[in-house]
Amino acid sequence: MLLTLLGATLAIVGLTAAVSAVIGRAAGWVAAAALAGCAAVIAAAAPAVVEGGAVRETLPWLPTIDVALRVRLDGLAVIFLLIVLGIGALVMAYSARYLSTRDVHRHTGYFVWMTLFAFAMTGLVLADDIVLLFVFWELTTLCSFFLINRSGRKASAPAVRTLIVTAIGGLILLLAVVLIAARTGTTVLHEVVAAEVWATDPAFTSVVAVLVALAALTKSAQFPFHYWLPDAMVAPTPVSAYLHAAAMVKAGIYLLLVLSPAFAGNGAWQAVLMVSGLTTALLGGYLALRAVDLKQIMAYSTVGQLGFIVATIGVGTPGAIATAVLFTVSHALFKAALFMVVGIIDQQAGTRDIRLLRGLGRRMRITLVITALAGLSMAGVFPLLGFVAKEYVLGALLSAGPVPLVGVLAVTAAALAAVATVAYTGRILLGAFTDDGAANAPEHPDRHRMPAYLDEASAAFWVPAAIPAFLGLGLGLAIPTLRPLLGSAAEAASGEAYAPTFALFSGLTIELVLSVTILALGVLAIVLRHRLAPVIARRVLPMTAIEVVERLREGAIALGGRIGRFGATDAHTQHLAMPWLFLLVLAVVGFWAAPNAGAVVDAAEPWTDALLLAMTAVTVIPALVARSRLVAVILIGGAGFVVALWFFALGAIDVGLTQLLVELLTVVALVLFLRRLPPLFHRVRRSRTVVTGVIAVVAGVLATAATLALTGRRDLSPAGRTFLESAYADTGGTNIVNTILVDYRALDTFGEITVVAVAGIVLSAVLAARRIQPERTPEVGALGRTALGRTADNTLPVRVVARWAAPIVIALSIYLFLRGHYEPGGGFIAALVGGTGFALAYLGAASDTSAPVRWPYRRLFAAGVVIAALSGIWGLAVGSFLKPVRFGIPLPWGGEYGFTSALVFDLGVYLAVVAIVIALLNEVGGVLGRRAEETETNADPPSSTGSDPTSDDREEVRA
Amino acid sequence: MSLALTIGLLIGAGVFLVLQRGMIRIVLGFVLLTHGVNLLLIAAGGTARRTPPFDGVDPAVAADPLPQAFVLTAIVIAFAITVVMATFAVVGHRDDDTESETDADSGTDVDTHTDAMTAVRRPTGEER
Repeated sequence: MLLTLLGATLAIVGLTAAVSAVIGRAAGWVAAAALAGCAAVIAAAAPAVVEGGAVRETLPWLPTIDVALRVRLDGLAVIFLLIVLGIGALVMAYSARYLSTRDVHRHTGYFVWMTLFAFAMTGLVLADDIVLLFVFWELTTLCSFFLINRSGRKASAPAVRTLIVTAIGGLILLLAVVLIAARTGTTVLHEVVAAEVWATDPAFTSVVAVLVALAALTKSAQFPFHYWLPDAMVAPTPVSAYLHAAAMVKAGIYLLLVLSPAFAGNGAWQAVLMVSGLTTALLGGYLALRAVDLKQIMAYSTVGQLGFIVATIGVGTPGAIATAVLFTVSHALFKAALFMVVGIIDQQAGTRDIRLLRGLGRRMRITLVITALAGLSMAGVFPLLGFVAKEYVLGALLSAGPVPLVGVLAVTAAALAAVATVAYTGRILLGAFTDDGAANAPEHPDRHRMPAYLDEASAAFWVPAAIPAFLGLGLGLAIPTLRPLLGSAAEAASGEAYAPTFALFSGLTIELVLSVTILALGVLAIVLRHRLAPVIARRVLPMTAIEVVERLREGAIALGGRIGRFGATDAHTQHLAMPWLFLLVLAVVGFWAAPNAGAVVDAAEPWTDALLLAMTAVTVIPALVARSRLVAVILIGGAGFVVALWFFALGAIDVGLTQLLVELLTVVALVLFLRRLPPLFHRVRRSRTVVTGVIAVVAGVLATAATLALTGRRDLSPAGRTFLESAYADTGGTNIVNTILVDYRALDTFGEITVVAVAGIVLSAVLAARRIQPERTPEVGALGRTALGRTADNTLPVRVVARWAAPIVIALSIYLFLRGHYEPGGGFIAALVGGTGFALAYLGAASDTSAPVRWPYRRLFAAGVVIAALSGIWGLAVGSFLKPVRFGIPLPWGGEYGFTSALVFDLGVYLAVVAIVIALLNEVGGVLGRRAEETETNADPPSSTGSDPTSDDREEVRA
Repeated sequence: MSLALTIGLLIGAGVFLVLQRGMIRIVLGFVLLTHGVNLLLIAAGGTARRTPPFDGVDPAVAADPLPQAFVLTAIVIAFAITVVMATFAVVGHRDDDTESETDADSGTDVDTHTDAMTAVRRPTGEER
């Protein structure tokens, strides 16, 4: 049922989005009905939960790390879900009148984020897994960001500030989640809070408790993170009512409550929560008394009221927990009503500024009644729900701490904040509904913003606000009926059985005395408001919290820039040298840490190895000092051939073949590049040669030492042995290396041909975006009229050879491809042979543009990847992606051919590798007519060809 | 020992070239580094057993097929990356790769060269 409910809230997102596209803002009614239905389901399940305890359901998600969609419904979850879904339904109904009738599409976005937020909160409250809880926690952060950010240009900065603080909170929570999971070995919420570590390791408990507390403080906008909530008021009023009063800020409260059983007895937890909560309560009350915008007053009020809850949770006794839950319910009801009322006033009067509002009390009687009911509940006036909640909060705080002094201090602070609450409630009522606020009006108040004719809002608009306001009255009178549910919630959030005794009147207690005193002082403050106003309005601090945050943010960005500048050099050598220097450090540390790793294993070797070493040296060392680019490339190519011989000598036939062919193509490719570049390398300073030489020698010595020290210590690897022994039975192939490539580790190979395809696309994209260097072959120009200049004649021998060789190359390529599974060969090698065929055709052409290699290489890349992917999907039919499908095809002359879909996969490999060769010849080789504008004859050598290939030119030619 | 020395030589030479001026030498150094690392991978599979790994070969003498498969894909990827890196060498303007020392000394060779080209192109018409 619970998972279904969670799925239903997600379905509401799609439903509302679809409906809103058709009926616009009226979609709010649909969403409201759906959310109310979900709330009703929870309410129906509540008695069973109260009687029989938590209900749990599990759906596996990441079984290997034991993370699952674990959900549970206990008393605490019931209460929070009723708030989330119930207030959500009211706000969605309210939105159906609040939103303008225009802008249908923007409303779709609004409804999507609002209902998605309802889903996220439902998931957060239902989660019985701390990883899942974290995921939903972050989702609420994102919903809040997008809802603020989409409300106009001015909203961008507040949205980012909100995101920064709530995302930091998310990261802190993630850290706490990781610590908890690592230490307790479980991510299941009810197992986590019951873990022994909380009792046995106070230091660890303190660290995690403070992290969790900090995460919750950011979410619930508690000091010192209180600034974001008033900032977030740029969002539309329904968003503020739902996210920033009733639901999202309560996510922090919920987190504190749900983890309270683990941390309740911890001193750091209590200190952080009580200090931050009471500071916020005082600060919120003070700032609410200064604000002139009704919505700002509400925001500071929310911050302050949440401070009471946080401080009460910090007390930690089951009674305090139950009180915190009660206060949360009470606050959700009156604050949602108040925010909705502010929206109504804003819509009807055109302003929320209490200095400008006039005459609402006469015209908008219903709104006045709703505001008064909700406001008096907030002020804690008998017999509303807020009265009961505040009285028990005072009682809980009085009992706080190990010594009475703590309780007295806490109650004093709370009482002061409560006086401020009464005072700003008066400010709201008098400011909005009388002309009182106009006394402090600016010299030229913008009175035009008040409409000439003021009227009460339609019933559809005020009913959603009236429901929670009247619920505050009804529940206050019927407080005993809430006891079982609150007891169940307190039991879930404190880990002990608890039967609350909440009552509207419980005799002449110290709390009652305090309540009366607070009300009296509050009323006094209202009476003296005009005298107090200048005192309160005085600026105490030189800057606002937002300025501090902005400065921190800009400072962090500037600091990042300054740090980045250390590495910001265009000299690539400095970047490229770093890895080697750090490898050196690693090597030193490694040798120091393990000086006696064991004797070096140096297997006996045939004499040919020494010969190969000598050949490597002969090709590599001259390449280092060569100044001619061409010589260097030829020497490096030679080194590549020696390496191929090494592979043959080491028994890697397929690797050697691949190396040989790749080296061939590398030399062809580099020559294509070189003819566009100067013939000589730059001279370098001697000092540079010495420094780089030293680094190089050290790297070489380390590489040799590492090879000797780290390799050759073991027998055939278990994986290698398995492949050797079972490859034929598994795949029907006898060439083990090829079976690894196309059968066992085909996903690796699939990724690899994707890399090849992407490289080819990068190549063509770079050349399309940037001007390629023209060819530098001026000396041939002088030979234009000699025999050397006649390219058509001079390439004749190659063409003749190519004509004869082409069928052989094609046949060889196909042969190597087909036999790859059994003998040396396969897609890579066959494709490279095919590639050399293309290179031969290119070299034999009289001019670049006439070379017969103009193939659609992009399509070949795509075909290669798609064919490989299709063969993989075929494999899904028999078990898993890329699993080879094998069956015998009867041959007409008897017997059968053992077909495997690995061959199809290998065809994909073949196409991708051929495509990169063709891409190279086409793009760099000039086949695509980089000099298409030249009127070129065979007698006219390519020397005078100035090519300025811009993308336009090339597109033309391709077309 | 010879293989270890070869690997050391290839890595050392690769590092030297990578730290020089100009993209082409970096590319060449990169190619040598690839060779060195590929041989190192093969060496990790053991160099005492050198019989090519085909079905039916005695595991006591067969080379390890797994590093061979790794190296085979590595070679082809390295080729693709080499081509991409080399591409960046030919799209620069007046840098270590595209400007010869004589260009740099006279400072104008390249420009006049370019002018000559545009001069050739202009009569052919149909500019953007």
